[in-house]
Amino acid sequence: MSELQTDTRVSIMNQMPEADVTARSALHFSQAATQPVFGPGQAQVFLWEDALRGQLVIRGDASNTDFAKGISSALDLALPGQLASSVSDAMALLWIAPDEWLLLCDLEQAFAIETRLRDALTGHYAVINVSGGQTQIRLAGSAAARVLQKSMPYAVSDTHFPVGKVATTALSKTQATVRRIDSTDWELTVRRSFADYAWRWLTDASREYGLHLGQPEHDET
Amino acid sequence: MRQTNRLADGGRIDRSKPLTFSFNGRQYTGYEGDTLSSALIANGVSVIGRSFKYGRPRGIVAAGADEPNAIVQLGATEATQVPNVRATQQPLFDGLVSQPTSGWPSLKFDLLGFSGQLFGRALPPGFYYKTFMFPQAAWKFYEKHIRKAAGLGRSPTEPDVDEYDHLNQHTDVLVVGAGPAGLSAALTAARSGAQVILADEQADMGGSLLSSRSRINGVEASQWAADTLQELAGMDNVLLLPNATVNGYHDHNFLTIHERRTDHLGDRAPEHQTRQRMHRVRADWVVLATGAHERPLVYANNDLPGCMLASAVSTYIRRYAVIPGHSLVAMTTNDAGYQAAFDWQDAGRKVVALVDTRQAPTGDCVEEARRRGIRLLTGHAVIEAKGSTRVSAARVAPLSEDGQHLTGPAEKLACDTIASSGGWSPAVHLSCHTGGRPVWNDDVIGFVPGDTLQRQSIAGAIAGTFDLAGCLEQGAQQGAEAARQAGYEAKPASLPTVEEPDTGNAMALFCIPHERRISRAPKQFVDFQNDVTAAAIELATREGFESIEHVKRYTALGFGTDQGKLGNINGMAIAAKSMNKTIAETGTTIFRPNYTPVTFGAIAGRHCDALFDPERHTAMHDWHVRHGALFENVGQWKRPWYYPKPGETMQQSLDRECLATRNGVGILDASTLGKIDIQGKDAREFIGRVYTNAWAKLAVGKCRYGLMCGEDGMVFDDGVTSCLGENHFLMTTTTGGAAHVLEWLELYHQTEWPELEVYMNTVTDHWATMTIAGPDSRKLLAELTDDIDLDKDSFKFMDWRQGTVAGVPARVFRISFTGELSYEINVPAHYGLHVWEALFEKGERHNLTPYGTETMHILRAEKGFIIAGQDTDGSMHPYDLGLDWAVKEDKPYSFIGKRGMKREDCLRQDRKQLVGLKTKDPSIVLPEGAQAVDDPKQPVPMTMLGHVTSSYYSANLGRSIAMGVIRGGHQRSGDTVYYPLSDGRVVEAEITSTLFLDPKGERQNV
Repeated sequence: MSELQTDTRVSIMNQMPEADVTARSALHFSQAATQPVFGPGQAQVFLWEDALRGQLVIRGDASNTDFAKGISSALDLALPGQLASSVSDAMALLWIAPDEWLLLCDLEQAFAIETRLRDALTGHYAVINVSGGQTQIRLAGSAAARVLQKSMPYAVSDTHFPVGKVATTALSKTQATVRRIDSTDWELTVRRSFADYAWRWLTDASREYGLHLGQPEHDET
Repeated sequence: MRQTNRLADGGRIDRSKPLTFSFNGRQYTGYEGDTLSSALIANGVSVIGRSFKYGRPRGIVAAGADEPNAIVQLGATEATQVPNVRATQQPLFDGLVSQPTSGWPSLKFDLLGFSGQLFGRALPPGFYYKTFMFPQAAWKFYEKHIRKAAGLGRSPTEPDVDEYDHLNQHTDVLVVGAGPAGLSAALTAARSGAQVILADEQADMGGSLLSSRSRINGVEASQWAADTLQELAGMDNVLLLPNATVNGYHDHNFLTIHERRTDHLGDRAPEHQTRQRMHRVRADWVVLATGAHERPLVYANNDLPGCMLASAVSTYIRRYAVIPGHSLVAMTTNDAGYQAAFDWQDAGRKVVALVDTRQAPTGDCVEEARRRGIRLLTGHAVIEAKGSTRVSAARVAPLSEDGQHLTGPAEKLACDTIASSGGWSPAVHLSCHTGGRPVWNDDVIGFVPGDTLQRQSIAGAIAGTFDLAGCLEQGAQQGAEAARQAGYEAKPASLPTVEEPDTGNAMALFCIPHERRISRAPKQFVDFQNDVTAAAIELATREGFESIEHVKRYTALGFGTDQGKLGNINGMAIAAKSMNKTIAETGTTIFRPNYTPVTFGAIAGRHCDALFDPERHTAMHDWHVRHGALFENVGQWKRPWYYPKPGETMQQSLDRECLATRNGVGILDASTLGKIDIQGKDAREFIGRVYTNAWAKLAVGKCRYGLMCGEDGMVFDDGVTSCLGENHFLMTTTTGGAAHVLEWLELYHQTEWPELEVYMNTVTDHWATMTIAGPDSRKLLAELTDDIDLDKDSFKFMDWRQGTVAGVPARVFRISFTGELSYEINVPAHYGLHVWEALFEKGERHNLTPYGTETMHILRAEKGFIIAGQDTDGSMHPYDLGLDWAVKEDKPYSFIGKRGMKREDCLRQDRKQLVGLKTKDPSIVLPEGAQAVDDPKQPVPMTMLGHVTSSYYSANLGRSIAMGVIRGGHQRSGDTVYYPLSDGRVVEAEITSTLFLDPKGERQNV
């Protein structure tokens, strides 16, 4: 329960619902409608939704040392530079644009982190909760890079797209923020409304390599 | 049928793998490794098609991409039809079905051939312009028959069953062509560690090495090619792409490669394999090693089946172990032409004569010909072929030293095949795609690539280097240079030793003289596909077409699917000669992508069917589908259009949805409206500059409607913006305008007012928005929230409140696009469906009715609310729309569009202005777009007053309503105007206010 905050300069909101509310991720229905092509033993592509993550867009001036300091004190993460990311166990901070970053965290933590950020930051900045507006598709396996080559014009070679790099680029006819998590493990952040299209495109592009819906077995914990 | 022309041994075919195929309805056999053309030659098939204009029989001329005649229709089923396949480039597979594309109505009895000369006279050069353009209406008739007669093949009438896709590639070096220069370049570049792609249009890489008689490092040239390919295949940094034609070379070293992945396997691609793939390559450096095309010589009746390129004869014999005839006359202007005679003789068939146009040629080849006892006629030429559907003899005559006239009587030599070699034209095509102009080189006797702005080099025959050792050396040099340019250290390669014959100088000769002058001699063909003759080119120049581009267009030279690979240079030489110019002065036309035709499938890739265009879905999409909604495309969004119940017509559904909303409560999925979160201390100031109305005093907790105009003062978007905090606003936009509005705000922020501290972010997808509208909406909402005070005096119209709806944190906006009591509930999208279903659970006893965009349109029209983009078209300012109240002229800082809407033209009183329209007959719904006139009896062209922008049947009012623009309409309330319709009816309508319902606006203030 929250109240209208007439006394603050911005309206922030704890957006977590009551316990019995059913959340549906962006790909809730798309995943149910998809058929795998091969079992995990033969598959060279693994595809799954890293659903319901907390997502905050942070805007600010990177050259303002107070801003960078505020970010690192609130998140315990360095503010990443161009096309880079900073990662901890609980969070990942992705460079999006010269004045924009995307923070990925636990959905339950999003409000607490937003509050922490607002306490730590001063001057001109913005924090926007976009947790419902986009989702993360994970693409892994030995042929994952081939699937990306079919889908986007940006080069995904080891030298041009090393682990940790982030690039926002065209994914077929939509857009994705692509992060290389590990050598064969990729994260694609897509707009919620385009997620079904992106999912169908990726499953289609994966078929020839053998597609398993879900994480690779060795990743199961 | 026996393969009568198949040699007993040799060739790169696999005799243990026989394949059956059909051509023109007859069954034949060939072997794995054959092309369709080599298999047809093996079976003694001479006539492949009929020519376009004259209906003359035509046979196979070439062995590669330059083939003009052997153009076939491929496909065993309707769905797998492929038109315009060059038989020379189609690998044979078991069960291949092919048909001639030309030769309508049949190869044997040809309608055009029958009327031969007569029809030919009707098709002089420039016939497109002279014959068929008038009367204009007849062109459709002509075109249909010309296409059919032209041998352009046909499209399948069923959808393609195969899949095609695209693959993006990034590489340090792209080498185009895997002949001697290309292999050498790829090897040198790859050894440096650079990423290399080597692409070749043929299934077998090696190019000319595969049919060469020369030796490299003591082994056959084809063996060296195999060894080199093996080394390349073993390197991680090399991608070999056979069956892959580099078809387009675009700016910034972006090249498209058309890879035929399964065309050699069968009629259809195997499961899980795409038939063709378009590689979209971005290369740091490109080496063009595309080789050269042999030029045929132009002589009388040179289109008879049996007239071939000398190099093609060698290729068929050495690579495919087929021989195209029994007795050969070979004519050449250079040493390369000798090989055809040697290969022919080695295959055990008769070489009647070797005709060299040079007076006194010398060198290894000449000596070998003498040693072999071949009858060598120097200073001679084949001036004419004889025969009806196949060569039966060659007429040979002595030639002057300059090759321009005959010096003695002709001798008739019986033979069934005439091979000719007029030298080699570098394959400059790709170098032209990015704007490079080829330049004539007298030593090469050909055009070579001119300067380029691309990061690119050339190696081998494309550069005019025709000897094997030179090709290997130049390839290695350019491969090393490519690697260096891409940042690698390339070691100088040790060049292989080459054993090849010494060659003498070639003679520049294109058109062989005849006893009669060109215009009277039997036809001397230059462009086989378009039936362009030497006489036609001469005629074109006589008629005043002096630019080579004009000659090309007037005669259709090089306009076929082969792009004139065979005939263009000869045609230019003939044009130059008839204008007494040099070829260099005449110049050349240039080539465009694609090098060879590309299937539409490969261009489309997977961007077809369900993946053609993205569909955007809201969080409640699945519910709409389950409840039978029909959808309307709004931008890329799928919006519920209306929800028909079984047996309902569309109008019945709309009537039900409209009445339920006005009398009870309806619900609309409004998630698609654009939502922009605006934060920063200057947010309010910024909004005041982009909207026409005032924002300085909007209090936290309040909402306001705003109009957005371009610099010209014309409305392009509208929406409600709410003050969330002193430094925080939420702007809504139209569904289709969301992306443009955000870009517009960014544009102005970044370029005009960077000093304003404001950040804009889209939150369109984050919030699921549901609008409940109608007199019962408050009662319904009250059942789902206990922390929002819904009392009409504390939560007023144009207020917003934060609270909890159905257990979910929500922002609720009391705004209305229907004129009813209405709440827009915004919740994070994850919970959108939960809240939507909770509303229906509680809404059942309120008869909660879902409505779609069509009902939304009707309800807002009843209130005269505009839709930007429907009632506006970019030429209407706020005053035209009667929205004077939404323009605040005296804001301290100007706003976008303020000056624009004050232009003289914008102040005219007779501008088209938005008004309401009521038809005299309330049952008639005016068509949107209908034009109003004052006097329906005025003769056409009538004076038009403006058009209908929105028009519906309103169940609430029991009559039709419409909005539209009328010149000076705001001063004409009560007037009658007339709408003459295309079906002859004239609809009478009265100009009214746009407020059709509840003019005082009481329903939304309850």
